[in-house]
Amino acid sequence: MLQMIHFLYFDPGLGAMIIQAIVAAVAGVVLFSKNLMYKIKTFLGLSKPQDEVFDDIDIEDSDIDNASHSDRK
Amino acid sequence: MTENNRHSSSFRDPSGFIFEDQGVVKRSISKLYFKQYEALKSSGVFEKLQHAGLLIAHKECSNSPSEIIIEPEQIPFFTYPYEWSFDQYKAAALLTLRIQKFALEHDFSLKDASAFNITFHKGRMVFIDTLSFDFYEENTPWRAFKQFVSHFFGPLLLAKYHGSESLKLMNTFIDGIPIKMLSSMLPFKTKLNPFLYSNVHLLAKFEERHSEDYDGQTKQARLSKKGQLNIVEGLYDYIKKMSLNSTSSEWGNYYDKTNYAVDAFDQKSDIIERWIKTLNTRTLIDVGGNDGTFVRKIEHDLDQALVCDIDYNAVDVNYRLTKKHKEAYMLPFVFDVLNPSANIGFNHQERDSFLKRIQGFAPDVTMALAVIHHMSLSGNIPFEMSAEFFSSFSKYLIIEFPKREDSWVQRLLNTKGEFKSHFDFYSIAHFEKCYQSYFTLVEEKAIDHSERVMYLFKSKL
Repeated sequence: MLQMIHFLYFDPGLGAMIIQAIVAAVAGVVLFSKNLMYKIKTFLGLSKPQDEVFDDIDIEDSDIDNASHSDRK
Repeated sequence: MTENNRHSSSFRDPSGFIFEDQGVVKRSISKLYFKQYEALKSSGVFEKLQHAGLLIAHKECSNSPSEIIIEPEQIPFFTYPYEWSFDQYKAAALLTLRIQKFALEHDFSLKDASAFNITFHKGRMVFIDTLSFDFYEENTPWRAFKQFVSHFFGPLLLAKYHGSESLKLMNTFIDGIPIKMLSSMLPFKTKLNPFLYSNVHLLAKFEERHSEDYDGQTKQARLSKKGQLNIVEGLYDYIKKMSLNSTSSEWGNYYDKTNYAVDAFDQKSDIIERWIKTLNTRTLIDVGGNDGTFVRKIEHDLDQALVCDIDYNAVDVNYRLTKKHKEAYMLPFVFDVLNPSANIGFNHQERDSFLKRIQGFAPDVTMALAVIHHMSLSGNIPFEMSAEFFSSFSKYLIIEFPKREDSWVQRLLNTKGEFKSHFDFYSIAHFEKCYQSYFTLVEEKAIDHSERVMYLFKSKL
């Protein structure tokens, strides 16, 4: 059994732990409908260009390239 | 031995602590965390996150059965969440979620989601708490969920609905915005949005209902990994699309409404360039630097340029430019010269004041372009006091003085109405006299076709 050291750290709040099942369900519905809309929009050729400032959630290999040439200009 | 130099902010997490060893910041890892540390190392989680620039790089200094010591890449100047603009704050929130998703996919989980785990370094937000990871335990909810809402999602929502200035609340609530207060401060329409309702309002209700959990029932709540990923991705999508409801700015389009002619503007930046070069400047701070326009005009290579401004939108613009051009030397942050961040937290030693940090950083040059009239006429700060302030952290000061005849100065003076005569002290002669009690004048240069004079001073301290 692995020792979960976070129990020593801080109280996550019982309410906050229980509620996550509901939060996850709502998020699941939202994500599902967004994906569906995205697919429909892409099919109709309405998809928007990528955000320049904020990255995608997944860490791609391109991130690793980007990080390495961070010198000036 | 290392305990003696333990940093005064490093006491919350028993996994280890930060200490200073001959001016170098290091991290001691306690036995309690050895298993996690070795697993993070061998699984390549550290390596991949560090290569992607998401987690601060570190090297292992020593590894004994009682203590592991690592030396993280040093951060020259720390900024805190209450000094970030909206987009910087957003980037920090998204970074936390990216790392949590990556951690979950590798059977780890962030055990905390504090905004103070992140700082701005080399042109981007970076996660600095190497010991924040723990093993993921199957079917358990995210212990840091509430903390994420109170440290990140809450402040961002308040900024969205009430303006960026709400982000300053983190200066008071260093453990995050209380969820109940957050819920009560958001407009009613947020209750009609199922996503916001579940993440904030329902959370507040649940937290209140279960606030007396003396039996440690927390362990009993269950959630699949897929469920947790839904939460993380849902928050990511929502936050990524967040924007401010009002984007009017005090200075946002400042350079469109200045009283500068193009040639005067160019002459000003030529003077700056020449002085910066002569002094062989490596580091500088531009106080009231707007979106970094003048710093970007400097051709001379700089290691680090801190560009701060009171205007959140200007800092946002600067941040976006920094990110777009991958300018590692640029550090934009929000700063109110009339009320710089104080020492806060336990024993006033957890988060350092602006003055303490800037004196530690000691930039070669301080630039104060077109700020002195605002400090003196809007803030009523006497010249002696602003001179004393500017002389306390840099050797050199480049300051621009708009004369009484300048149209901006006239505008500020006219707002004083019948008390205009109380501001007779605002003259070039009095300015020079006061500043020369703290500085030696190196050079002064009037800008042609304008009512402005540039000064290069050397601190007497």
